[in-house]
Amino acid sequence: MRNTKTMRFLAAAAAISMLATACSGGSDEENTNADGDTVITWWHNSNTGSGKDYYDQIAADFEAANEGVEVKVEALQHEDMTTKLEAAFQSGEMPDIYMERGGGELADHVEAGLTRDLTEDAAGTIAKLGGNVGGWTVDDRVYSLPFSIGVVGFWYNKALFEQAGIESAPTTMAELNDAVQKLKDAGIEPISVGAGDKWPAAHYWYYFALRQCSQDVLQSAVVSLDFQDECFVKAGESLEDLVATEPFNAGFLQTPAQSGPTSASGLLATDKVAMELAGHWEPGVMQGLTEDEQGLGEDTGWFPFPAVEGGAGDPAAQLGGGDAWAVAQDAPDVAVDFVEYLLSDEVQKGFAELDMGLPTNPTASQYVADPALADLLAVRDASPFIQLYFDTSFGTSVGGAMNDEIALVFAGQSSAQGIVDATQAAADLEK
Amino acid sequence: MADKTQASAVDAGLSATHGSQTPAAGGRTPSAAGSEPARRKAKPNYRQAIEAGIFIAPALALFAFFVVWPMIKAVQFSLYRWKGFGPLVDFVGLDNYIRVLQNDVFIGSLTHNLIIIVASIAIQLPLGLLIALLLNRKMWGRAALRTIVFVPYVLAEVIVGVIWFQMLQPNYGAIAVVLDAVGIQGPPQGFLGTVELALPTLMVVLTWKFLGFAIILFLAGLQGVPEELHEAAQIDGASWWQTQVKITIPLIGPTLRTWAFLSMVGSLQLFDMVWILTKGGPANATTTMVTFLINEGTKRSNYGIASAASVVLFIIALVFALVYQRFVLRRDNPDIEPQRKKVTR
Amino acid sequence: MSAVTTTPRPNPDKAVTPKRRRGKRDGHAAGPFVYFMAILLVCVTLGPVMFAVLGGFRTNAQLAESPAGLPDPWVLDNYIRVITSENFWIYTMNSTIVAVLTTAMVVIFGMMAAYPLARFKFKYREQIFMIFVAGLLFPATVAVIPLFILITKDLGLGNSWMGLALPQAAFALPMTIVILRPFLQAIPNELEEAANLDGTGRIGFFWRIVLPLSGPGMVTTGVLAFVGSWNAYLLPLLLLQGDMKTLPLGVADFSSQYSSDQAGVFAFTTLSMIPALIFFLAMQNKIVNGLQGAVKG
Repeated sequence: MRNTKTMRFLAAAAAISMLATACSGGSDEENTNADGDTVITWWHNSNTGSGKDYYDQIAADFEAANEGVEVKVEALQHEDMTTKLEAAFQSGEMPDIYMERGGGELADHVEAGLTRDLTEDAAGTIAKLGGNVGGWTVDDRVYSLPFSIGVVGFWYNKALFEQAGIESAPTTMAELNDAVQKLKDAGIEPISVGAGDKWPAAHYWYYFALRQCSQDVLQSAVVSLDFQDECFVKAGESLEDLVATEPFNAGFLQTPAQSGPTSASGLLATDKVAMELAGHWEPGVMQGLTEDEQGLGEDTGWFPFPAVEGGAGDPAAQLGGGDAWAVAQDAPDVAVDFVEYLLSDEVQKGFAELDMGLPTNPTASQYVADPALADLLAVRDASPFIQLYFDTSFGTSVGGAMNDEIALVFAGQSSAQGIVDATQAAADLEK
Repeated sequence: MADKTQASAVDAGLSATHGSQTPAAGGRTPSAAGSEPARRKAKPNYRQAIEAGIFIAPALALFAFFVVWPMIKAVQFSLYRWKGFGPLVDFVGLDNYIRVLQNDVFIGSLTHNLIIIVASIAIQLPLGLLIALLLNRKMWGRAALRTIVFVPYVLAEVIVGVIWFQMLQPNYGAIAVVLDAVGIQGPPQGFLGTVELALPTLMVVLTWKFLGFAIILFLAGLQGVPEELHEAAQIDGASWWQTQVKITIPLIGPTLRTWAFLSMVGSLQLFDMVWILTKGGPANATTTMVTFLINEGTKRSNYGIASAASVVLFIIALVFALVYQRFVLRRDNPDIEPQRKKVTR
Repeated sequence: MSAVTTTPRPNPDKAVTPKRRRGKRDGHAAGPFVYFMAILLVCVTLGPVMFAVLGGFRTNAQLAESPAGLPDPWVLDNYIRVITSENFWIYTMNSTIVAVLTTAMVVIFGMMAAYPLARFKFKYREQIFMIFVAGLLFPATVAVIPLFILITKDLGLGNSWMGLALPQAAFALPMTIVILRPFLQAIPNELEEAANLDGTGRIGFFWRIVLPLSGPGMVTTGVLAFVGSWNAYLLPLLLLQGDMKTLPLGVADFSSQYSSDQAGVFAFTTLSMIPALIFFLAMQNKIVNGLQGAVKG
């Protein structure tokens, strides 16, 4: 009697576990769907407006051209995507095609054997991209194909600048401060910054470091993880000076970077502030944040980060970075074909025409429609050296510590020395 | 929690329903702590144990698999330096724990957790009790009121976060606009963007969201207080307020203590709402232990440190529970409710 | 709060003081102070909710114009757009299925476990109970990384309903058992003895007496588990993709995807809170009774 009860329970437990397996859909391991097609999953962060539609179309075109292939597209909000990717790396359940930002992050992924070596498989495309793949090269092997490389600079609203009586885009910090004052006098909030997400605030310090430190110092710091050079403290001092002029939007410490109309990008797109320091993605983001899908439209202007007096860095050096498509180690071969297709002349052309970024395929550069983006492209191509975003290049641990501390300076809770100390402490852990 | 003692706080006081003499809270004699309640006379036997095992097995299996196992994994991760992928090789012993405990941001987070615990109880206990007493009396529209009070508690944190975030925006937000209309100048950086105001603002939102839970529990406790007591008190000439203060509140003491415990645990584990409203900012003014560890994990890939922080959090919660149980719940059942056997049938 | 006092009246039943009430059964007139408090409470509670509901009836232009105004004119477009969007219904279905699975497991397993923990005597009973109680102290958020690895990698249940329902049920068990246990303990022994005399065994007693009597407790824990699952965010965010998403992810998605469409976000938000609200509020009396843990008898 007791035995039968036990048996009944075991049966119930078994039924439950079977139920569990029955409910679990096909796992990604097999990479085939019910029709026997090869399935590849693709995560991207163009989750708004025309960019999203374009990528859906690209996936459909690829399916049409390749019999027996299904592309599963997942458009994610950027911050959500990074969270999910992080989790995906840990579990090994990765999307077949995902975004890599290069630098220390990529090196970690390569070391863990997560990312596929594309050096031979995509040799043709790599040759076409030329020097652009440098940031995604680890020990002379190329692990991702960059589809958009840009530099960070000030996006501004031409109409508001005019309204405040600003004649020309600032080229030095003194001129920038002057412009800020004029905007304030005209009752316009000068600059929005998404300090709630930290990295937009951190870009300011990166740029000051780029202006204060010579190229040699920066490049050796990336390798040695040593931040004792005095110029790093000077960078923080420049930042403190800027913060002291109170140029930022109300509530900037909690403003998100680009989600919603009250984000830093949203404020710029809806004429609430006059400028924002952001990368080449800004026009695309702004379009998604306005009802007419136009962003600032005709009023979009761009100028590079101003020169800092007495700094050892080259004023023409730019902070930048880009996004590249990487293929997971265990992805089917067709995923590599898809990434190559994403970098083909026609796809990159469409990408450029929609102002989704700055194409890396040289044949597509001419199609960049937006005059502001064209300005940016000219600056990018003329730059003596492009410093990859520090948080990307140092990897998440050091980069995260750095960004957190920089955000504290924005809140008046830390100092120039504090940034260096926090960064150094995190870096010492890495050694 | 406590050794089970079957007799409940209310039992002692309830059989003597007539007379305004009620036992003060906790004033009953605890049935000898630790001794088996008198009502279970049956000897433990083999068959019962087997049956119990069978009955408990599924829950225990589920629990062991999805709660205990991840906990053990967390302990394991906490002993390594690990970026979240690849093999666990870099054993560092208790290093991560030292780092966590020496970390100013973590200490700040712990402080915020403690502030939230104290503030939650100090605000929600009187407020929730008052509203529960109000909803417990006969009045017009009581059913509707009861319903409305629970609304915030049912909403998802995400939804609450989205709504309040929009309302709290400086200059354009609904709250700023309303304040403006009555001539009050809101803080220039907004409620969430001002370092000094962020935590109090968060407390307001938390109170709005979780007061409903306190009220539900208190109402449940109040149902256990028999009408006859009130009548008796009134016959003795006590006012409504006197009746509440002298009789009702002491009688639901165990409920209040249980709620306080759940509230403490909830405050220690606070995450969703903070993450959506402030991400722990501005300038770490609203970090909690969980936002700290999520930040260390997902944003900085220091999974060893994040796991160490989660173990520390668990230990702190455990210490809290034990201390609370030792000094406060000692005389109650560690239960949601005082049970009583109905005297009347 | 200042307590209002009156002269005690020896015979409250004849009391017709308009001034204030005692907690008595014929209370149609609590004092104005009480009603004032009640109205204040309603405003504070519903204000933010109405902000979202009404926001859904406005156009984005109106919202930009005056963030705190009333709809003028009222537009239904936003709501219609959400209701007619395929995603909204897919998300609703996912949320429902996951919540039902979670609730079923919590109530069934929780009840099965709470019963012996409440009424049987056996070795290690308290220790087992303590293990469950300790689970209260361990937030799911903290375990999210190991959990994620366990579910996606070891069990292959990533992006599935069950993969989400199982851990959610596990984390809801402690609260369930803590609530149900005293409930079951309160069932008078006489009943059990009577059942034993009838020759009904423990199991029979469980089926015939315990289950019917503990209905309210099960409703309470069930509703709490359902609402908890309905509102969960972090774990679904990590586990679910595409067509498997639940409503809270939809809200977050919708608010970033159509971030310029503030009114649409409000409409989506409003509609996604309705089911949980209805469910909870319809059950609210049962929940209060269930928490009360006393046997109706």
